[in-house]
Amino acid sequence: MLEIRNFVAGYSDVAVLHDVSLDVGDGQFISIVGPNGAGKSTLFKAISGIVAPMAGEIRFDGEDLLKVPPARRAHLGIAHVPEGRQVFTSLSVIENLEMGAFTREGRRNWKANLERIFTWLPVLKQRRNQLAGTLSGGEQQMVAIGRGLASSPKLLMLDEPSMGLAPAIADFVFDKLMEIRRDTGLTLLLVEQRVAEALQFADRGYVLETGRVVLEGTSECLKADDRVRRAYLGM
Amino acid sequence: MSESQILLESILQAIVAGLFIGAIYGLMCVGLASIFGVMRVINFAQGDFMMLGMYVSYFAFVAFGAQMFGSAAGPFAAAIIATPVMYVFGWAVHRLLISRVTGTRSTGMEAEGHYAQLILTLGIALVLQNGAMILFGAEMVSVRTPLSSAAWFVGPFGDGMALFVNKARTIAAIISLVVIVSLWLVIRRTNLGKSLRAAADNPEASIYMGIDVDRAHRVAFGLGTAITALAGGLLAANYPFHPFVGLDYVIIMYAGVVLGGIGSVPGAFWGGMTIGLVQQLSALVLPTQLQNATIFVFFLLIVTLRPQGFFGRNVERT
Repeated sequence: MLEIRNFVAGYSDVAVLHDVSLDVGDGQFISIVGPNGAGKSTLFKAISGIVAPMAGEIRFDGEDLLKVPPARRAHLGIAHVPEGRQVFTSLSVIENLEMGAFTREGRRNWKANLERIFTWLPVLKQRRNQLAGTLSGGEQQMVAIGRGLASSPKLLMLDEPSMGLAPAIADFVFDKLMEIRRDTGLTLLLVEQRVAEALQFADRGYVLETGRVVLEGTSECLKADDRVRRAYLGM
Repeated sequence: MSESQILLESILQAIVAGLFIGAIYGLMCVGLASIFGVMRVINFAQGDFMMLGMYVSYFAFVAFGAQMFGSAAGPFAAAIIATPVMYVFGWAVHRLLISRVTGTRSTGMEAEGHYAQLILTLGIALVLQNGAMILFGAEMVSVRTPLSSAAWFVGPFGDGMALFVNKARTIAAIISLVVIVSLWLVIRRTNLGKSLRAAADNPEASIYMGIDVDRAHRVAFGLGTAITALAGGLLAANYPFHPFVGLDYVIIMYAGVVLGGIGSVPGAFWGGMTIGLVQQLSALVLPTQLQNATIFVFFLLIVTLRPQGFFGRNVERT
């Protein structure tokens, strides 16, 4: 579904990502792990078109994504749940979800999607008319996830959904994601610093360090790797 | 009539006048609110967009408004015809100039591009003022309708008190209210309106939603220009104007938007309304030269007591 080949990108003239290649197949759950500043969010922003590419290619369903204007990419079926949630604070929860459904597919499936989102994340139904800016961090994360799902995506990209949340809330968000994944078989691309959780259910994983893929493989493979165990799993 | 009744009559008369002029000021402020309040673009040329709206209305009236709609309805029809023209004008100004110092291009600029916006829009203001001077001349013009000097009499009530309600201003106020309510409904209820609010709230997240943020900004700028220009066209039916008239009004607009609470469309309307009322009521006790001074004393008072304005919410734009 998503193929990234020898991709280079960064800010101004400074490359943050060097020669990154990555594959996400239909229905797969792929995790990208790595320390702060490894370029994980930059990779997501490049996929969404916020960061300009310098070299390499990104294909989505065979289409050259770099030729698609950033605001059109969501319409192809890419939903980006950004780092730090980035909900529309001055819009109500339901309006946030409606903005998620700005894509044609999202609009067509609005009713069914909304029902499913409210089943997975009932707190959004309770808070539907509240301004998103007044919600707690965990609730805002659920708004961000719900907003992503409302677009009827083919690929859901999640950038550190546990960031800034209390461990119990982060666990809850993670469980919800896994429930959604079980129910829908949706293709997931997850960036996460909580490496154990990120690799637990993923089909494959990539370790990104200082803008390079230093390790890739099935999650079993990665979890068994000495470097991963020492650096990320504290074993 | 006793002395106190005469006073009461003049106060009521001033309130009526204040409500009508306030409705037009409110409309004017709502136009600026969608540019300054919502898109956070500092636009010093807003008064001159209004001036242009007045001239476009004037020429629309002279060219065909009078023949097609008659001299009574003509000025209002002309103001309404000027609105889409000014939308296109605002859209084009944004596309060609403003977009270079706003939105995604302004990240990384000093003060998020506000300095550049200040200089650019001051420049646009100067070009428009002097351009209008060359094209239209310096003499005062006005779009006169017989309704400007016609009034409905209300009363007599009490002990022979009577109010007169200017017909042209009543119609202008009604048009203002209809436009404001429709705009408010568009912004609150429609997908277009919600996407404009989303684009103003968080441009980056809006792109992730598939909203074309640059287009949203152009539309908002065009709308803001068109609405202020419509207010100009409505004023033109009551007040004579000249190429530098924008200066008088741009200050009122900023005061109204800040008074109402930055970012709030209903707030901007009430801000403009308040200014209209203060202006008319102050004329009862103060010489007319002090009208504008009174507005600002009142403005400072409100901003001291309630810095976020009438409708400002601190939770927005955290």
